[in-house]
Amino acid sequence: MITAITEWIDRQLGRGSASITVPVFDGALKSNRYIEDARVLATLEAPEDLATDGVAVFVADGSKVLQVLPEGLKEILAVQGSITALACMPGGGFALAIDGKEVRIEGGANHGRHWRAINGQALCAVNAIALGADGLLVVTDGSTELEYAQWKRDLMSLGKSGRVFELNPQTGEGRLLAANLHYAFGACSVGNKLWVSESWKHHVVDIDTSVRRTSVTEDLPGYPSRIVPATGGGAWLTCFILRTQLVEFVLREPTYRKRMIAEIDPAYWIAPALNSGNTFLEPMQGAQLKMMGVVKPWAPPRSYGLVVRLDAQGLVRYSLHSRFDGKNHGIAAAAECDGYLYVIAKGSRRLLMIDIAQTEKELIQ
Amino acid sequence: MKSTPILELRKATKRYAGIPAIEDVDFTLLKGEIHSIIGENGAGKSTLTKVMAGVVQLSSGQMLVDGDVVNPQTPNDALQMGVAMVFQESALVPTMTVAQNLFLGQEKFFNRLRGIYISAQQFLQSLQFDVDPTAQVSLLGAAKKQMVEIARAVLHEAKVIIFDEPTASLTPEEKKYFFDLVFKLKARGVSVIFISHALEEALLVSDRITILRDGKHVVTDMAAQFDRERIVQAMVGRDLSQTLYGQRKTFVRRQGKRVLSVQNLRMAAMVKNNSLSVFAGQVTGVFGLVGSGRTETFKVVAGIIKRDFMHGGEVLLNGKPVRYFVPASAIRDGIAYVTEDRKIEGFFETKSIADNIYLGLLAKLGGNRFLVSRKEAATVGEHWIKRLNVRAISKDVKAIELSGGNQQKVVIAKSLVQDPQIIIFDEPTRGVDVGAITEIHDLINRLADEGKAVVVISSYLPEIMALSDRILVQRMGKVVEEYSATEANEEKIMYAAIH
Repeated sequence: MITAITEWIDRQLGRGSASITVPVFDGALKSNRYIEDARVLATLEAPEDLATDGVAVFVADGSKVLQVLPEGLKEILAVQGSITALACMPGGGFALAIDGKEVRIEGGANHGRHWRAINGQALCAVNAIALGADGLLVVTDGSTELEYAQWKRDLMSLGKSGRVFELNPQTGEGRLLAANLHYAFGACSVGNKLWVSESWKHHVVDIDTSVRRTSVTEDLPGYPSRIVPATGGGAWLTCFILRTQLVEFVLREPTYRKRMIAEIDPAYWIAPALNSGNTFLEPMQGAQLKMMGVVKPWAPPRSYGLVVRLDAQGLVRYSLHSRFDGKNHGIAAAAECDGYLYVIAKGSRRLLMIDIAQTEKELIQ
Repeated sequence: MKSTPILELRKATKRYAGIPAIEDVDFTLLKGEIHSIIGENGAGKSTLTKVMAGVVQLSSGQMLVDGDVVNPQTPNDALQMGVAMVFQESALVPTMTVAQNLFLGQEKFFNRLRGIYISAQQFLQSLQFDVDPTAQVSLLGAAKKQMVEIARAVLHEAKVIIFDEPTASLTPEEKKYFFDLVFKLKARGVSVIFISHALEEALLVSDRITILRDGKHVVTDMAAQFDRERIVQAMVGRDLSQTLYGQRKTFVRRQGKRVLSVQNLRMAAMVKNNSLSVFAGQVTGVFGLVGSGRTETFKVVAGIIKRDFMHGGEVLLNGKPVRYFVPASAIRDGIAYVTEDRKIEGFFETKSIADNIYLGLLAKLGGNRFLVSRKEAATVGEHWIKRLNVRAISKDVKAIELSGGNQQKVVIAKSLVQDPQIIIFDEPTRGVDVGAITEIHDLINRLADEGKAVVVISSYLPEIMALSDRILVQRMGKVVEEYSATEANEEKIMYAAIH
């Protein structure tokens, strides 16, 4: 009762959870153009995820797995359906998620092993596969209700059915590590910890299977997605969409959201997007703001490009950006190999490459 | 400039409890000259000028005005002799109007208020001071109060006007007006004694400069014969120029945890949708022109003033939203605010150093402490006096009796005793001598090295650039730009602050 009254007061006064604020890009999150100015290796059909075995980099592009070579991209595997997650197995081969509903091992010692359900729980929106301890696989499943492609609907419906599973490629066994997450999207073993992105809560949590979840990095200005290990400890965290006050406001308005979801094409929702500026029908893109007699172009960005370098404690060391006037938005995946960071900008369907040493030299004086 | 001495001190010595504050000082002020007195805090500048203004009397030596030996017993005596002093802290009656303050002590038996207002209006206009004579002094800002003080001294037709740190609270525009006024006074044959820690100002306006050190006269020479290095060396007896503002940071401390996140903060017209973060283990410098909302933003954080009642934004401490109604709650959560106005908000002037510091600890403990331990107060006081190198005869000396730099150290100790996680320094070296500046800067760096989140708000660009790992530039109520220490330069920062 008291909580309800407090919430009502907060709502009237615009305080507490109703204050609708978003954290600012400052400190190590200060904006730059490293993603926008990154070298474009290729423009692909439907890039989704990246994986590396430490020697080569592989891209999941629609139903194909491509290897990144100096002379270009080479197809090395094709499956039926869209690949929504990709990981390299330690002894060779790949672990793939197909259409978000099946995890399958292709090649290597456990070729052919697959999971469509774990302990009777069907997979629905598998979006990341990571290598855990002892050769086990850690799989994040964003939602039990909406498939992977419908992530926007899950966000606007305040979905909280994300799960994390642990799979044993040798025995085929699996177990649930965590459930009821606000969209689990990406996992990574850092030291003896397991970090998981909980996208709609804008944070990365350490999933301690025995006790509880503790926040590793919180109140991010974007919605975190996949996490991959970084050389020297820590991880690369991608943020595929951006938080804005406008979206935060809409997320607090159930009646409006319900009507928007029911009546409007998802492409034109007031919701984050992987890319923007494609049509004038998109909300707010043509807005202007008059300040002190000067008309300034203004629009809350719908899409953005962001990769965050986290250290072993989860603190942000630096970040790479494509600002709202750029094109390389919707960063869905990253992989580090041989001193370079490979990045997928899903918004522009590009595969990008960034020299890590050079970037660190410029960003960390 | 005529070479007639209008005021002279010979072998002037003043002792407090047997300890000399000034000793055998010879000083000569010529008619129509601007004479700067420079020295570290505790060098004896204030005592020397207080002797001239009749606030204190010499223990030995002589004072001469127009060649006559005098011994003013009160400021009024000195005023009758033509010597007026404009104090650093306001000596105006806050409940009276500007006009009443101007004519205070010169009232006739029957006063006509309207007549006073008209006279005051005409007089203030002649000085080009934009101050409403009918305004109550308590409602005026620091700069306007300063103007009234100056106007009062001029009104009393003083032959000698002593200004103690006159520009500390003035904006650049107001400073320009002030210096114009000083030159006008000089043209009218008035002699001006100018005490300032801003060495550039002293070099710019003075005809002659006298430097004191440890209560003794070091050198008097024409201003043209001095440069910054020579002054600093004479003041401190060692070359501090490299350790003061000369050095720019060449490294940036690694950013720790985000301790404070201010999101879309609003506070009346002063803070407009302001967002910023403060990280552990770094010095975050905040620069902006007067009125840019820097102080107000951090006063909201520290619970000293309140954000807007509706839609005031959020302040997150370690990721948790906080809203303080009183500063004590912020102190208990580990937020310390070291005020820019130490004399009004920083300490209890009649309490001892130890008591003032102990009060800081009690503020942290709040209602958990029912009894006050004198022994603990003494121990805490001694510890911090030693740690911050507060120069005082004992821990029982009243705060008001300390020099500006040592008072500032007491204010800082009062905050550090609370073991805060965030320390906000608002103009930490305003009105502080160069020796103490170095010590305060060292302390700020040490706190950041220890992992504390440190915020330094300063109007002085070299100070911001020498201390900060990150520099936030604020304009019109919000942060408009951020630079790392290595990418910042004065032009960039100033451009962001103005445009």
